[in-house]
Amino acid sequence: MLSACPRETEVKELVELGQWPQACAPELRAHVDACRSCKQFALVAATFRSARAEAIAEIKLPPPGVLWWRAQLRRRNAAVEKIGRPILGAQIFALAINLVLAVAFIGWQARHGLSWLTWFSSPASSAQAASLHLEALWSPELFSSTLSSSIANPLVMIPAIATLALLGGVAVYLASEKH
Amino acid sequence: MFWESILPNPLAGAAQAVAAQPVMDDEVFAGFYERSARSLWAYLARTSGDPALAEDLMQESYVRFLTAPNPPSHVADGEVACRRYLFRIATNLMRDHWRRPRAASIEDIPENFFAQPSDASQSESRMILGPALAKMRPRERQLLWLAHAEGYSHHEIAEVTGLGSASIRLLLFRARRKIARLLEEGNRGRRQAC
Repeated sequence: MLSACPRETEVKELVELGQWPQACAPELRAHVDACRSCKQFALVAATFRSARAEAIAEIKLPPPGVLWWRAQLRRRNAAVEKIGRPILGAQIFALAINLVLAVAFIGWQARHGLSWLTWFSSPASSAQAASLHLEALWSPELFSSTLSSSIANPLVMIPAIATLALLGGVAVYLASEKH
Repeated sequence: MFWESILPNPLAGAAQAVAAQPVMDDEVFAGFYERSARSLWAYLARTSGDPALAEDLMQESYVRFLTAPNPPSHVADGEVACRRYLFRIATNLMRDHWRRPRAASIEDIPENFFAQPSDASQSESRMILGPALAKMRPRERQLLWLAHAEGYSHHEIAEVTGLGSASIRLLLFRARRKIARLLEEGNRGRRQAC
């Protein structure tokens, strides 16, 4: 049976005002003595109210400034973490791209016999490379062959990979920051 | 043109996150804290049975209240709503604490934990209510405290505990009947001892 006694509200008001049982009308008191629901309610409510009043007097509160400061610190740390998250994501992405491209490049070069390694070992070829012939860059007939050969040239490939990774990192940072 | 419009955005977003306005300013918070902390501590201490834990959870509740992303506004929603929200945070923290596996070493337990408080230091209502509450389930203690010590309605208790309003009525009815029986037994025992 869940239905409460209609007079329970009167008892509740008296308990909340701290007037139970002193300021209770004799007629209501007689009802509470006879009604099991009201009797239980009065006992429980008065005990809890009294326990609350004692507990409230018992505690020595820490100053609110400490809690305010802790909250500010936590908010700031959360904000810093929020800023750092996209940057970390971008760094990981850039590193991953670099690794993938490096592995792909090495694999591709390995299939072509790593011919460019001789470029480092031969001093004569290094001297040739140092002397730059600008007219060769503007020659249209040489452009198509230069383009195809530049793919195999590490001096072109490595900066290209680095630029790609850098731009990829920036793109990921901007995208994740919006989230 | 492009870099000015693209690059400042992440920095502006970060600055906004850092400088976002708190729920209330420090003076308003101090007032709210003075008016609500004692009742919050009483709720936590009596339902957990551990005053030290109650103090930790109380402090954590206020910190979470101040750092919450969408808390009720002190101005628009009023102090009652803020208080209810605070009790909700505390209830969730207590529930998380109870769910956590206990792995405390004996050295971690404070010295006075095992000391039985003397009758002189304990009030009559606490001596009767303490053992009775110890025999109740944590959820029942919370419901009884919120209903009878704080005077919350069923709807408000539902908001604080996250339970349905309809189930609050039934659970509270059962819990009240159970604790009334325990209190009556306690009273009888004390009368016989006297």
